[in-house]
Amino acid sequence: MTAPVVEPPPPLVGTTGSRGQARVAWAMLAPNLLLLGVFLLGPLVWAFLMAFQEKRSFGGGTWSGLDNFARLLGDDVFWRALLNTAVFTAVTVPVGVLLGLGLALLMDKALPGRGVFRTIVYLPIVISSLVTSLIGLLLFDETVGIVNGVLADLGLGAVSWQSDGTLAMASVVVMTLWSRVGFSMVVYIAALQDVDPQVVEAARVDGATPWQTTRRVVVPLLRPTTFFLVLINLIWSFQVFDVVYVMTNGGPGYSTTMLVTYAYDEGFGPARNFGYGATVGVVLFVITVLLTVLQVRRNTRSEV
Amino acid sequence: MLRGGAAVGALWGASTLAGCAGLTQRVSSTSSGGGDRVTMQVYGTDTETAVYARLCDQFAADRGVTVDLTVVPFADFATGIDAGLLSGTAPDVFRVDYPTMGLYAATGQLLDVTDPLDELAQDVRPALMAAVTYGERRFGIPQHVDTSALVYRPDVLRDAGVGAVPDRPEDAWSWEEFGEVADRLRDSGGDDRSAFAVNWQAAGAFRWLNWLFAAGGHLYTEDLGAAALDDDAGRRALDFTRSFFENGWVPGTTSTKSPTYPDAQFTAGRLAMLCAGNFLVPAFAETIGDRFEYAVTYLPRDERRASELGGNALVATKDSGNPELASELLVHLASPDAMRQFCEASVLLPTRESLASQDLDFVVGGDLMGVYADQVATIEDRDVEDVTTPTFAEVNVDLANELEECFLGGRSTDDTLRAIAEKVTASAALNDGAGS
Repeated sequence: MTAPVVEPPPPLVGTTGSRGQARVAWAMLAPNLLLLGVFLLGPLVWAFLMAFQEKRSFGGGTWSGLDNFARLLGDDVFWRALLNTAVFTAVTVPVGVLLGLGLALLMDKALPGRGVFRTIVYLPIVISSLVTSLIGLLLFDETVGIVNGVLADLGLGAVSWQSDGTLAMASVVVMTLWSRVGFSMVVYIAALQDVDPQVVEAARVDGATPWQTTRRVVVPLLRPTTFFLVLINLIWSFQVFDVVYVMTNGGPGYSTTMLVTYAYDEGFGPARNFGYGATVGVVLFVITVLLTVLQVRRNTRSEV
Repeated sequence: MLRGGAAVGALWGASTLAGCAGLTQRVSSTSSGGGDRVTMQVYGTDTETAVYARLCDQFAADRGVTVDLTVVPFADFATGIDAGLLSGTAPDVFRVDYPTMGLYAATGQLLDVTDPLDELAQDVRPALMAAVTYGERRFGIPQHVDTSALVYRPDVLRDAGVGAVPDRPEDAWSWEEFGEVADRLRDSGGDDRSAFAVNWQAAGAFRWLNWLFAAGGHLYTEDLGAAALDDDAGRRALDFTRSFFENGWVPGTTSTKSPTYPDAQFTAGRLAMLCAGNFLVPAFAETIGDRFEYAVTYLPRDERRASELGGNALVATKDSGNPELASELLVHLASPDAMRQFCEASVLLPTRESLASQDLDFVVGGDLMGVYADQVATIEDRDVEDVTTPTFAEVNVDLANELEECFLGGRSTDDTLRAIAEKVTASAALNDGAGS
């Protein structure tokens, strides 16, 4: 008996057909590449160039070398915004992912009214973040807000959600978590569908408790999903803008000023200092890229 | 058959997309006119924008032209105008607040309308005309002014034992008397009501200058070349205003960077008094109704009486597609009849002296407007110069940031004044050519 002869695959390069395929591929890619170039890469390069200029909204810019970066180093507000952003990220990313995981594990079971609960948790994601921010303002307004109203009805004193820096940050964090946790939950629920039930069953047969099964078997199997969620939440947290802009306007003082709100205020606020605003943006970009690279490396190492 | 089906599908797709155009097509908020068409962009209350529409319709009918009016939120107007000016698609005519106008005029973005506005200039107080004048040239019409006065609840003041409220300008409370009244109101208000609030939130930080001016101080030196507020008058003004928070007279949420305005607290009955602009009079009439009584008195005085230059101008773009028609529209909107219509309906104060001296028939709150008109009369030329420099819009933001550090962050008066002065002086280098 002879083995069947297998036809070698056609060469991928150097033929008329492959060149035609490449042309089609480029043609298909072209619209996206064009959009990315015009609306993403172009402005990015432009922002880098403006960071080295003294440039206001009207009139040409003048090259100023590293002046903007020197100003940045001595700018207390920038450092405060950086610290605020780091604190905000350090709280929202782990808490948001863990809450999403917890809710996903809960909703993955045969819970009565599961669909309704899932919808309620996911709802903030499908409405505009501006709307959720306005709801946050309605809830946490210190004088006429719903939260303080309920506290007053319970005989408790009003809480300084807007005039105390720490509490203002807490209110922003709460609203951010509320609007994000649904996304983490849905992604985790999807990932849980892929967990092999035989593996879970085997752990139970081996005597693992439900907690041990979750902690030692299910959660490790969700690692790629966790990596994705941590990364995306990290980027979102560094880019936080609307919830701060609407709820606190960066205040009280600079207690909730973030890097993006500061860049916006400098670049598009009344100062219209495009050069300095771009400098803050460039620093934010570099930090985000560094954190992403670190996270990717860490994940790659742990997979190996 | 297939071909026919594809054609039907394509037709259906095209018609569907065409149908969607009405829903999804973005109408640019800024575009330039041309020929017999002029474009105009405004922000404002529903009442104000309705009057603008009426005035534009009158102009269009009189001249046989088209006026495309676009209404945008105040918060978005400057971003849109900046983009329009940079890309050459700015509206021919647009509304702008006085502090922001300085930047556009100083950077050569506006149409010089000195000659067409000769008649108007003869009828407007020089201090107000100076708000639209740069380097001896006029770049817009000061359409109206608004300013602040002290709105109060007579019932609450009576209950707190405050007998008389000033009903003549010369009897305005001194700062010390105002402090005593605030003490009484705080003590009688409990947790539910504060003594008062000041309207210096959002872009209103410049209203802190009322206290500086009243103390005899100024933001800039006379040549606008440097800051001048780091002096005794500045210290007195800042000490007094920070005491509003230290003494618990005002809610902590009414500092300069608060994301909400305090008038909602007044209409909710949580304030006994409020420094409020006259443009809020229609809103008060609508939201307060008969729930409680309210009246208005003069702002407290110190070395002098003072009030801020609020209000808006109308300007034309230098690169307008039809500059002649744009300046004709400005002249039309500045006419006595148009200004009267606008101010009476919107409860705003006219800039024409010929109108200011008459009893205008305001749609609501006419009995309150006399106090406001008197407050406007306290604005001096140098006050106007302070708030219309090309860089004042960014100084306004610095004021909001630095004052809040003092009011809520516990920073000292001296440190705060120094910080404001440094920023004002740093940006003053860009003020060349300002002033009339």
